[in-house]
Amino acid sequence: MSAAEARVLAPVLPPEVVAAIEAEIPNYPVKKGAMMNSLHHVQKALGWIPRDAMVEVAALLEVRPIEVLEVVTFYPMFRDRPVGRHHLEFCRNLSCALLGSRQLIRHCEKRLGIRSGETTSDGKFSIGEAECLGSCGTAPMLMLEDHFHENLTVEKLDQLLDSLD
Amino acid sequence: MPKGTTVLSAALDAGIHVPHYCFHPKLSIDGSCRMCLVHVEKAPKLQISCNTAATDGMVVKTDTPAVLEARKGVMELLLVNHPLDCPICDQAGECKLQEFAFQHGRGYGRTEDVRRKAPKRTEIGPRVVFDQERCILCRRCVRFTAEISGTRELAVLNMGDRSFISTYPGQPLDNPYSINTADICPVGALLSTEFHHKLRVWFLNETPGVCTSCSRGCNVNVGGYKDRVWRLTPRRNDAVNDTWMCDHGRLNIDYVNDERRARGAALRTATDGFEELPFALAIRRLADWVAEVKAQHGPQSVAVVASPQLTNEEAFLLRRLVRDVWGTSMLAVPVPMGEGDDFLVRPEKAANGRGFADLDVPGASLDQVLDECTAGRVKLLYVIGSEMLSVAGEARVRRALSGVERVVNHDILPTTISDHASLVIGGCTWAEKSGTYTNFEGRVQAIRAAISPPGGNLTEGEVFARLIASHGGASEHFDADRVLRAIAASVPAYGSVTPEAVQPGGVATGDAAQPAA
Repeated sequence: MSAAEARVLAPVLPPEVVAAIEAEIPNYPVKKGAMMNSLHHVQKALGWIPRDAMVEVAALLEVRPIEVLEVVTFYPMFRDRPVGRHHLEFCRNLSCALLGSRQLIRHCEKRLGIRSGETTSDGKFSIGEAECLGSCGTAPMLMLEDHFHENLTVEKLDQLLDSLD
Repeated sequence: MPKGTTVLSAALDAGIHVPHYCFHPKLSIDGSCRMCLVHVEKAPKLQISCNTAATDGMVVKTDTPAVLEARKGVMELLLVNHPLDCPICDQAGECKLQEFAFQHGRGYGRTEDVRRKAPKRTEIGPRVVFDQERCILCRRCVRFTAEISGTRELAVLNMGDRSFISTYPGQPLDNPYSINTADICPVGALLSTEFHHKLRVWFLNETPGVCTSCSRGCNVNVGGYKDRVWRLTPRRNDAVNDTWMCDHGRLNIDYVNDERRARGAALRTATDGFEELPFALAIRRLADWVAEVKAQHGPQSVAVVASPQLTNEEAFLLRRLVRDVWGTSMLAVPVPMGEGDDFLVRPEKAANGRGFADLDVPGASLDQVLDECTAGRVKLLYVIGSEMLSVAGEARVRRALSGVERVVNHDILPTTISDHASLVIGGCTWAEKSGTYTNFEGRVQAIRAAISPPGGNLTEGEVFARLIASHGGASEHFDADRVLRAIAASVPAYGSVTPEAVQPGGVATGDAAQPAA
């Protein structure tokens, strides 16, 4: 068996994720319907969605791997590459952009020494950009581990970064 | 007009041209290209005609100033990132982007930005090449693999202006029908690897024909140029193959263009070489041999094995020649059998086994003929084609041929049979003759000569006609249409099969003529 085959055959999904996906399936008229929630389970457990996980999800939902890949690549919320332990997702849509999200991203890039879309070499931080996250009234904002950090300023961003270990 | 007919289908059926890319009559509606916008009275804005149901009393206009301007806009957006590399694109000359830019475009570009760069000439599958820069994301290919081949290799990845067509890494576009994606690609994004950069398509002379690789008889266009067949492409016939054909049938044309094709006729010499002789003498020689053998050993000592790739007209003349004129029942027509599938591919790997049966041509099985040969009771064996090699196996054929005094081989390529032959007559392929085939369901379909045969070879039908004449029959040249009329007059099931009737999409006989249950 070649190394590549061994890699694909080794399951990457923890048993509890497999169980969670199997529990989703009966909620839909067709197995494929459980795609979105299944991928959320995977990403929550692994932090991102590796190719091998896509193959496993495809097998569970009885679809071809390409059908998983097209969903993962369509939605920016699904990540097909690993991110840092703290993934800062800056909203860049209209309200946030008008109120300075671009400057916040620049500041963050400078402070962490990486570009948007990259991860620090110690794997601690990564920077991402999102389209509207529905918090225009409190712009500019970012999302970190499902939590909104709103009405941001450079100072508040620095405090946030300092508070993360 | 059936319920659910769309405005676009209704317009196209009525002969009204509405430009479109993503719509395909055999695929689900996508509505992604926006090219088929029309004005529907009382609708607040232009509608895509491919996804608008036609209703009674509906008033649709396809050429209002707003429609024409919308088309210009859609064309402009589709062309924003198009590489415009038409000079090196196989699709040039049969490209909807070219056609509609010419007919419906603005006529000039307004962009100054650099065009998108993307992978070109990607091997997306073993038989299809992909140029991402040219793709307009109509999704026809994606829908083909989802709905027709059922293999689902293709998808659109990413979103918006970053989206592109792709396979899953390590799972290429590789199914028995994959090249159909190149046919339905309205631009030069998906192309047949086999035809890639071979010939500008405007040089092709496309002749309507029928694929002979199995008994389905998929309707095709035969692309000929300079006496070569360059490609086969499916031709729509909803009763046979819709708009599809299998990759195997499409690519099974090499033997037509083979350098080793038998040219003219040749007689084995005393020194075991071959000397060429004119067709007239070869035919005379065969007729003389038959007469000699019959006189000495009786008619059953003459046997014939014929190819089920011969046309109905040739089969009809062959029956007359062998069973009536020569008077032998030893006439076998071996049909090679193979794998079929649940879509188009049939297990009978020949075009016309059904036609031979309908015309009651075979008088013996291949087993009977070979056994009689092996036993030494066949003195002259006339073999047309080489199907018996795959049906009975090389070894058994070789054994049988060794028991025969004179083997006459009428074929297109050298084989074990020609190695044993005293007389070799160069034959013609389907690409070089006109006539009809009867598919497995009993549909009689026409083929027409697309190219000239090598070496001035006579068609098999012409050889049979001259053989009949040399035995004192009426001397007339082979005329497929005239023979088909004779078939219609003498075979009741083929009563309605006339040259005129078979031309558009074939004539149903037998089971095919029964209304669908």
